[in-house]
Order: sequence, then C-alpha cells, then structure tokens
Amino acid sequence: MMQAALNLVVEPHSMPRTELGRIDVEGAAVSFKGPKGKRIEALAPTDLVIEPGSFVSLIGPSGCGKSTLLNAVGGFVPLSEGTIRLDGEPVTGINPDVGVVFQQYALFPWFTALGNVMFALKRFRLSKEERRDRAMAALKEVGLEGREANYPGQLSGGMRQRVALARTFVTSPKVLLMDEPFGALDAQTRVVMHEILLRVWEAHKATVIFVTHDVDEALILSDRAHIMSAGPGRIIETMEITDDRPRRAHQVTESFLRNRNHIIGLLRQPGADDH
Amino acid sequence: MDSHLKKYGQLIISLSGVVAVWWLVSGLGLVNQNLFPTPPQVLAAAVELYRDGVLISDLQISLKRAAIGFTIGATLGVLVGLLTARVFAVSLLLEPFLTLLRPIPAIALVPIAIVWFGIGEGSKYFVIAYTVFLAVWLNTHAGASSVASTYIRAARSLGANRFREFFEVVVPAAAPHIVVGLRLGAALAFLSLVAAELSGASSGIGFRLQDARQFIQTDRMFVGLIQLGILGALLDSVFVLISRRLVHWESA
Repeated sequence: MMQAALNLVVEPHSMPRTELGRIDVEGAAVSFKGPKGKRIEALAPTDLVIEPGSFVSLIGPSGCGKSTLLNAVGGFVPLSEGTIRLDGEPVTGINPDVGVVFQQYALFPWFTALGNVMFALKRFRLSKEERRDRAMAALKEVGLEGREANYPGQLSGGMRQRVALARTFVTSPKVLLMDEPFGALDAQTRVVMHEILLRVWEAHKATVIFVTHDVDEALILSDRAHIMSAGPGRIIETMEITDDRPRRAHQVTESFLRNRNHIIGLLRQPGADDH
Repeated sequence: MDSHLKKYGQLIISLSGVVAVWWLVSGLGLVNQNLFPTPPQVLAAAVELYRDGVLISDLQISLKRAAIGFTIGATLGVLVGLLTARVFAVSLLLEPFLTLLRPIPAIALVPIAIVWFGIGEGSKYFVIAYTVFLAVWLNTHAGASSVASTYIRAARSLGANRFREFFEVVVPAAAPHIVVGLRLGAALAFLSLVAAELSGASSGIGFRLQDARQFIQTDRMFVGLIQLGILGALLDSVFVLISRRLVHWESA
C-alpha cells in the first residue's frame, strides 16, 4: 500500500486559478454560555493572516481553541467578536468553497466511495458522465482506483480518509480545513496519508489549515505552525518551517529537532496545558 | 451452510420437544382433554377447518387486514416521524399530542372504532393503522432527530441544499431506526388485528377464536393460536431479511 501511494501520478484538475484562498482573522473571538450562565471564552481575540496556498498547522493541547478557530473559519461556529474574511469576504456561514475533512470520517456509509465523491459534485451543472469521470479521477489521485464500488464499511481507516480527501478536493476548494484527520490512524498509515495529502495539496494549491496535537505531524506537513494554549484559547507563538520537503520523521534534520524541542518546550510551560 | 443447518436443527429439536411435552401432559389425562386437547385432536380440527374452507379464508382476510392497516400506519408513521424530527413547527404542534396518544393501547380503541367505522373492514384498518403508526412514528422520530451532526456539516460544506440534505442524508441516516420501527410495527399489527377481530368481526383468525369459545372448541382455538404464531414468526423473518438488504451498511 505504501509503495502504491509513493508512486502516485498527480493529475491536477483543469480549473485554472489566481492566488485565492487568503484568510484574514481580525480580532476574532468565540465564547459560549457554559453551565450557570457563565460565559466561557473558547478563543480569545485573535489576529492571523493565512497566505493563499500555504499549509498552516494549529497545534496545542485540547481546550486550546484550535478546533474552535478552525470551525469559525469554516462557518460552523459564530464569532462573538471580530471578523474572519475569506478573500476579503466576511465568513457568515458554511461555504462550499471551503472544504472540510473531519476528525471522524464523516463519509456517508450508505453511498459507495464513488457515490461519496460524486455527492460533492452534484451542486455543479455537470452531466452524470462528467461527474462520474471526475470522481473516478479524484479517487485515482488518492490511490483508490478499483475501490470505487466499495462502501465505507468495507474500507480501512486510511482508505476512508483518502475517500474523504478525494471528496473534498474534487471540487477544488480554495481552502481546506482538516481537524485532526489522521488522529485515528496507525503510524505507518499516517506516513502514507501525509505523502498523499502533500501531493494532492501541491497539485490543487489550496490553502490548508491543519489542526493537530502531534508536533511531528505539524513539522512534517506545514509551512507555518501556530502554537496555541488553553485558558483562554489563544496563539502563543508562530513558527516558520523552512525545511525542504519531503520531510521525514525518521530522518530528522537539525532544524527539525530544534523546532520540535522548542514547540514541546512551549507546550510544557505551566499554564500552557489544561490537563 | 453450517449455521443454517444449526438453526434449522435447533428449531426442529425445540419444536418437537414442546410437542412431546404437550402430548404427554394432555395424553396422560392429567388435565381435562376438553380444555387441553392433544396434538392429534388439534391436527384433526385444523384439517376440518381446512375442508370447510375457513382455514385459508380466515388467513387471507386476516393477512389482508394486517397488510392494509400496516401500509397506512407505516406510511403515515414515516412521514410524520421525519416531519416532527426535522421541522420545528410540526414538532411543536404534534409532539405533545402524540406523546399523549402513546400510552393508549390499541384494544381500548376498538369500541370507538366500531362506532366510527362500523363493524366492517374500516374499524379493523383503523385500529391496526393506529398501532403501527405510533411504533413507526416513534422510531422514525428518534432516528431522524439523532442524525450525527458531522453528516449534516459534511453535507452542507459539500454544497448540498436542504432538499438534498433531507433525502440523501437525513433519510438514509434514519433508515436503520425506521426499519426497526417497521419491524416492531409489523409485530404490533398482528396484536391489534386480533384485538380488532375479537369483537365485531365475522371472519378472520381472531373471529374464529372467539367463535370457537362459544362452543368450547379448544382444539379449534389451538389451531388459531398456532396459526398466529407461525404467521408472526414468518413475517418477522421476512422483515429481517428485507431490512438487512435495505440498510446493508449497518451490518458492515
């Protein structure tokens, strides 16, 4: 399976695009009513610019607001203060230009792999043949050729997440939000998934926001990592990761180690962890 | 194949054991044979009923009533269940009312059904449909209101409109619950069928039971009871078979 994934042929989709997918987070905060009517600040006012086409990780312990920030960009949770703009337009709700890969697979178990990918294409005026062809191409891109007729229940965890990736990328979204998408996979499958994700990302040039609590995963994948802390959730440091790709956790460079030690040090600080 | 053999073997052993004990108890004269007939007596009564033509015609009329009542009740149950679960206004209007209806047993509705629809077929359909409706509504409502929020979020972020969200996500996500409701409804259809036929009917298995009581023909009563048992069990197996196909992803 690993070999097949490494030898993937990347076939970028037609739609040409200028630099789209810029995200401006301007003083955005999220709070909600907790028990006894007390307001709980899930995300303190945050400023952040995410460049078009960049791969950004949000990393931190649970409760640090990383998923909240991601969900706010996706329009799943309303802001209590500030604005988030996508290419200048304020985010007001769920937007199909923003693709999402969920923590749990969120594939529809009643559709086949192909049916799941075709679901995403139904909002476009395409002939059934064209929808089918594009969905097949997307499945091929993630190395699932020949699996199109399988239902999610017949696929392994890694394969399911590849279907989810194909389902999201098939419409060439400007932004891709990923909430700990590989958290449930074993280490070996994760490595394969990282390869596939980077290939697909390079082919489609979407802006990716990737939530994880795995420091290595953030360092392997992203251009920039925002380290977050809890109580209230906020960004405590931003790190540029300039190492050339591909990066591998088993062939670490000196800068990789330095970055990892730095981030782990930050996350260990008193008050940085909510456990 | 092996599991099939095991299943049928178990069925045969269990049934022959029950018949043997029954035969022993009734045949030894431990109880009055007029009140507790032996298996051969019951068999003879069944043959007699068959020769009279009522065994099959009772079966047909009872099945027809159950089928029509079930179809009406199940259709309404699925529709109303989906609406009370997903449309806030409908749930606000209907839910309290339906919750009040729930504890009323089908048999309590027989008198009013006879007044409203007469002793003809209408009252039977009504009582059966009512029972089936409640079971199917309850399960459909539970299924459709507990659709995982990730499915809804995924559907919306993939650009599905409300119409597609409902038919391609909510309905299939609720399908396993709906199927459970339908199976329960089918069992209840039988229960209420007999309740409806015991009073104010001139045909059907329930009527035949009541008719036999007038002449203390316990052997005929046993025929009716066995008919109901076999019919119910067969119907349930058919339902299990269909539901496995219908919601195939549940077992995967």
